[in-house]
Amino acid sequence: MDKQLDLLQGTLDMLILKAVSLGPLHGYGVLLRIQQISKDRLEIQQGSLYPALYRLEHQGWITSEWGESENKRRAKFYRLTAAGKRRLQAETENWNSMADVIAGILGTKPEEV
Amino acid sequence: MDRFLSWSRTAFRRSRMENEMDAELRFHIDTYAEDLIRAGVPREEALRRARIEFGGIERVKEEGREARGANLLDELLQDLRYGQRVLRKSPGFAVVAVLTLALGIGATSAIFSVVNAVLLRPLAMSEPSRVMYMQEHWQDVFPGLSVGNYIDIRNENSFFAELCASNSAGFNLETGELPERVDGEIASANYFATFGVQPMVGRVYSAEEDKPGQANVVVVSERLWRTRLHADPSIAGQSIRINGMPTTVVGVMPKSFDPLLNNTELWVPAAFTPTQLADHDDHYLNVMGRLKPGVSATQAQSELDVIARRLQKQYPLYDEGRTFQLQPLATVLLGDQSLSLRLMLAAVGFLLLIACANIANLQLARSRAREKEIAMRAALGASPNRIVRQLLAENLVLGLAGGIVGIFLANWGVAWIVAHGPAEMPRLDQSRVDASTLAFACAATLLSSLLFGLAPALRSASTRLSEVFKSSSGVSGGSRDRIRGLLVVGEVSLALILMLGAGLLIRSALFVSHVDPGFDTANLVVGKVGLPDPGYHDPDVARQTFERMITAAAALPGVDSAAVVSRAPLAGGGSSNGLLAEGKPLDSANLVNSQLQIVSPSYLGTARVPLKTGRDFTPQDTRNSTLVTIVNETLARTMWPGENPIGKRFSCCEIGPKGPMDPVWHEVVGVVADVRAWGLARRVPPEFYIPIAQMPPSAWDWIGRTMDLVVRTHGGSVPARELQSAVASVAPAVPIYQLSTMQHKISSTLERSHFDTFLLTIFAAVALLLSSVGIYGVLSYMVAQRTRDIGIRMALGASRGQIVWNVLGFGVRLAGIGLAVGLAGALAATRLLSSMLYGVRSTDPITFIAVSLILLGVALLASYLPARRAMHVDPMVALRYE
Repeated sequence: MDKQLDLLQGTLDMLILKAVSLGPLHGYGVLLRIQQISKDRLEIQQGSLYPALYRLEHQGWITSEWGESENKRRAKFYRLTAAGKRRLQAETENWNSMADVIAGILGTKPEEV
Repeated sequence: MDRFLSWSRTAFRRSRMENEMDAELRFHIDTYAEDLIRAGVPREEALRRARIEFGGIERVKEEGREARGANLLDELLQDLRYGQRVLRKSPGFAVVAVLTLALGIGATSAIFSVVNAVLLRPLAMSEPSRVMYMQEHWQDVFPGLSVGNYIDIRNENSFFAELCASNSAGFNLETGELPERVDGEIASANYFATFGVQPMVGRVYSAEEDKPGQANVVVVSERLWRTRLHADPSIAGQSIRINGMPTTVVGVMPKSFDPLLNNTELWVPAAFTPTQLADHDDHYLNVMGRLKPGVSATQAQSELDVIARRLQKQYPLYDEGRTFQLQPLATVLLGDQSLSLRLMLAAVGFLLLIACANIANLQLARSRAREKEIAMRAALGASPNRIVRQLLAENLVLGLAGGIVGIFLANWGVAWIVAHGPAEMPRLDQSRVDASTLAFACAATLLSSLLFGLAPALRSASTRLSEVFKSSSGVSGGSRDRIRGLLVVGEVSLALILMLGAGLLIRSALFVSHVDPGFDTANLVVGKVGLPDPGYHDPDVARQTFERMITAAAALPGVDSAAVVSRAPLAGGGSSNGLLAEGKPLDSANLVNSQLQIVSPSYLGTARVPLKTGRDFTPQDTRNSTLVTIVNETLARTMWPGENPIGKRFSCCEIGPKGPMDPVWHEVVGVVADVRAWGLARRVPPEFYIPIAQMPPSAWDWIGRTMDLVVRTHGGSVPARELQSAVASVAPAVPIYQLSTMQHKISSTLERSHFDTFLLTIFAAVALLLSSVGIYGVLSYMVAQRTRDIGIRMALGASRGQIVWNVLGFGVRLAGIGLAVGLAGALAATRLLSSMLYGVRSTDPITFIAVSLILLGVALLASYLPARRAMHVDPMVALRYE
């Protein structure tokens, strides 16, 4: 059970890093952007976003500052740091090769064994 | 590092962080709700949906805090609060645990700090281990050196860098209105160099000044300088009056300098005269030497043996059979106390062990009782990590409370011991609570608490729940119970050893307090009077001065009679002489070493020393009549066993007119009872009395012209002022000092041994208390665990009596095993006490039986309470339990 949770968490972290890499976003904005890019195919528990954001900030991969939102309210905007950029790159590569391997395994036909 | 910074930042900006988190989450929900409204959802519904889809806001916050690391501090505080709450809910456990910790820490640190200050701390001098103390050894006595022997050894030895000599003496010091008496030493000039200590003001006296006929100089102690000389920094070169003579202060020694632990206030040059330098007959000098680098005490001793053989040949009359003994100064000064102090250390160690065992026991019982609670928390999602952290916090609360009370107890204990300890015990007043000791005691008790509190908890946190819940069904036992039983057995046996030690000392003290001192101590007042050498050098002047003093004191209102004696009982010191009975050849084997008392004719009557046969001294016994003596029963028995000593003669104390081989005879005219002059518990040595009018003229130098004035009063308070003016009316500017009643002197000599007894009794009582708590704890726990068992047995027809016997039997069995182990240990341990016991053997069966019975009785009592609880178990309730 623990491992599932880790995988899920790791995925969310990666998606957040990707979302803020396209430009500074507030928490709600991160949610919207992921939904927009994924064309609403990914269901994200809204509340779970924030612990993930804080964790990433604590680890130094994103940084935050208060600014004004499009609806003229004070909001906290998150931005990727240099370390976060490297992390995103590593995670992306890792994910891609993992996806390749798994796709390869799952795509194997009986005659190929 | 970054993480730590982030953590500390968040820790310190917690409230700001909380506010920001609130604002951020509210922004999210509000903005989402606005989007929903824009999409056509009614406002109310939009707000509701926004909140629901966001999820539990508190949980999000909690996870957020945790993600930022803010939770550690939070949880710690929470754990501490929880721990405190849990402890408050079981006050019995908390109080006993805190008290056990506090007693273990406090008592142990207090006693060890005192032991450290008195016994273990090195003497205040440079390289104390190289400083040796030299004594002569002749027959079975170890007197000081004669000046002649000292000078010869100093000149001939090659192993000492310095060899100095000193003799303690009293001095009449006139700095204020009243003259006062201070303890000082006459010391050779290299005395200070021997101990390697420099003066803090001025200089020490030179070898040139340490010669007869030089101007009077003195080196004073820091205390004298501070209390009597106004701490004057320019004191060097100023003049003060000592023994009526103007004397120049040349220097002040630092505060800690008191190498012989005599409370020495001043040092004057020994300035040995040519006669003294040639004297091989009077053995009284303290001789201390500093070994040269690389020289061992054994090497120095063997060289000393060679010198001794030469001296024996050269001065057969004085040095026949005489050797020299070398011991480290620290052994000589602290050695006689080391036994009782080591005893205290052992007691401290035992108590610490008992306290640790008790804490371990308490924790084991508790962890067992809490197994279910912990398993429940684990089942509800608490990580093992978190559970351990919380137990740690609980222990921390216990430890803090126990530690704080313990530190208070230690401070109070040291202050109490210093205040109530024997006043003359050297260095006791320098006792402070020793930080490292306190740390050690804290660490030992807290560690055992943690170890035994945490290990079982860890296990239960990781065991399957089902097992824990199964185990509650009444089948107890297992290794933990065995450990607890062993701990109790160990506690009981250690407590028994302590109690036996205390019991033997108490019995010994009872014996001592009933010993007949050999004279009537009631309403007897004693004070010392020392006549200064200048002005009272002439023996006749000195004697007449004391005789006039006796007359003046006896005439005081409220005084029955007065007398002088060279050393009043319990005054310490004294001089011994070898006596040769008439008719025996002059051979060292025939000499009887006896204590000399020089007395006025009124002394035996005033002190009411019972005369067994013969007559008392009269004023007619003078140098012109027959020299007479009165002996104590021990001397009579030793010298003339089975014979009537009256009319017999012995030679002693001085040389006849025809040279060294011409004996001076003293005729025995009376026999008196043995006086226990060296302490009630000490063996009485042979002792003889000589009237002051017949004393050898040189004896005035032996006793330093100092006598004890003894006064029998009608009772009431000590007539101090009256005695002072009586003395001063005869000898102006001469003080009377150490004035007190005889009974006070006796109680203060008993204080020393009573002090050990008292401390050990406290130890024993605490140990007994702790081990009964241990027995009680084990049995209560056992009864609680077996409630169901007991219920079933009762339902099956067991009587209440059987149940009670069952529980009591278990408790008594534990105590019995502990008793057996303890008795075996005690037989070995109490033997170490034998030298401190008087009238009791170290295996005294009465003490052993009494102490065992007390222990068993207390064990029975401790078992009775849980047994009664077991008896009142209602089988129906017990079976429905759970």
